[in-house]
Amino acid sequence: MTETNTPRRFVLVGAGGIGTWLADGLSRLLEWKFPGSALILVDGDNYEPKNMERQNFSKMGNKASVKALELTQVFNKTLFIPIPKWVVDDSFNGVTDEDSPKIKASELLMEDDVVFAVVDNFAARKILFDAASKIDNIDVFTGGNDDGLFGSVYHYQRRNGVNITDHPVETHPEYQSPPDKNPGELSCQERAEIDGGTQLLATNMAVAALILGRVHKTIVNKQNPEESEIYFDLGLGKSEPYNRMTHQTTTVNN
Amino acid sequence: MINQSNSNQTQSASGVANVRFGVYSQPTPVAGKSVKEVREQFGKLWGIPTDAIAYKGKDKLDENYIIQPNDNLEFHRRAGEKG
Repeated sequence: MTETNTPRRFVLVGAGGIGTWLADGLSRLLEWKFPGSALILVDGDNYEPKNMERQNFSKMGNKASVKALELTQVFNKTLFIPIPKWVVDDSFNGVTDEDSPKIKASELLMEDDVVFAVVDNFAARKILFDAASKIDNIDVFTGGNDDGLFGSVYHYQRRNGVNITDHPVETHPEYQSPPDKNPGELSCQERAEIDGGTQLLATNMAVAALILGRVHKTIVNKQNPEESEIYFDLGLGKSEPYNRMTHQTTTVNN
Repeated sequence: MINQSNSNQTQSASGVANVRFGVYSQPTPVAGKSVKEVREQFGKLWGIPTDAIAYKGKDKLDENYIIQPNDNLEFHRRAGEKG
């Protein structure tokens, strides 16, 4: 008999190059390890033909809505909820209309959520990390890649109001002052002008696989998130874990 | 910011510390050297940007900090951005 766990609420923000592959993996994990769970998909953007080289979807339309419908047709023990909106922070006071619907991160995230911030910019990730830092029990996984074969993932975990792993701002200045902008706070014209670069399918999938692996270890198996951050380079064939736990002993690895 | 430039400690390297940057991690005899010297030693080899912040845990290190045996010296590697 397969052991099952209490249903969970997973929140995936960004259903693009990493998010589409991760959504498929998370759906299978929830369906068999946490039946009766919910996967909430959040994205204000639309699938376009140019996305097909790297992203896994079957028709054009809003990314969250299309992916949620696809998954609903395959998995019957998991509830898929699309939120076709851009995530913004509490101080956002720009335009919110039918063409550019928004949701505040503080209204999206809840206690005991497992969050996946797989957007394409640091600014939106920071909004999610900052909102999570005000919740007592939460896990936030993020991952991203450069153009080419380099990528990294990070796991921020809080329990009983205490950071188990550090907020990534502790060792990443890019989360203190993001060099990019949250697409949710741009106009439609500005968003259309964002260059997706020359990302590779293999790197997007590797980020998704590493995050799924961290979920299996720390959420399914409930083990410590010692390998809180992992850098990898598919070209070099290397990966390297970093311990970002708040309380740790540092030693030289010989 | 840790700034420790005691001249008594600026001796030849005599102990091992771990030097890290992204996917690179190497125990190496750099104790006694400054952050600046280690950056010069590994910068070209690993592609460490000249402005990459050096950390020991969460503490930012000054360029003149002298590496101690068993230190974990990490040069900041920007996280993957896109997705």
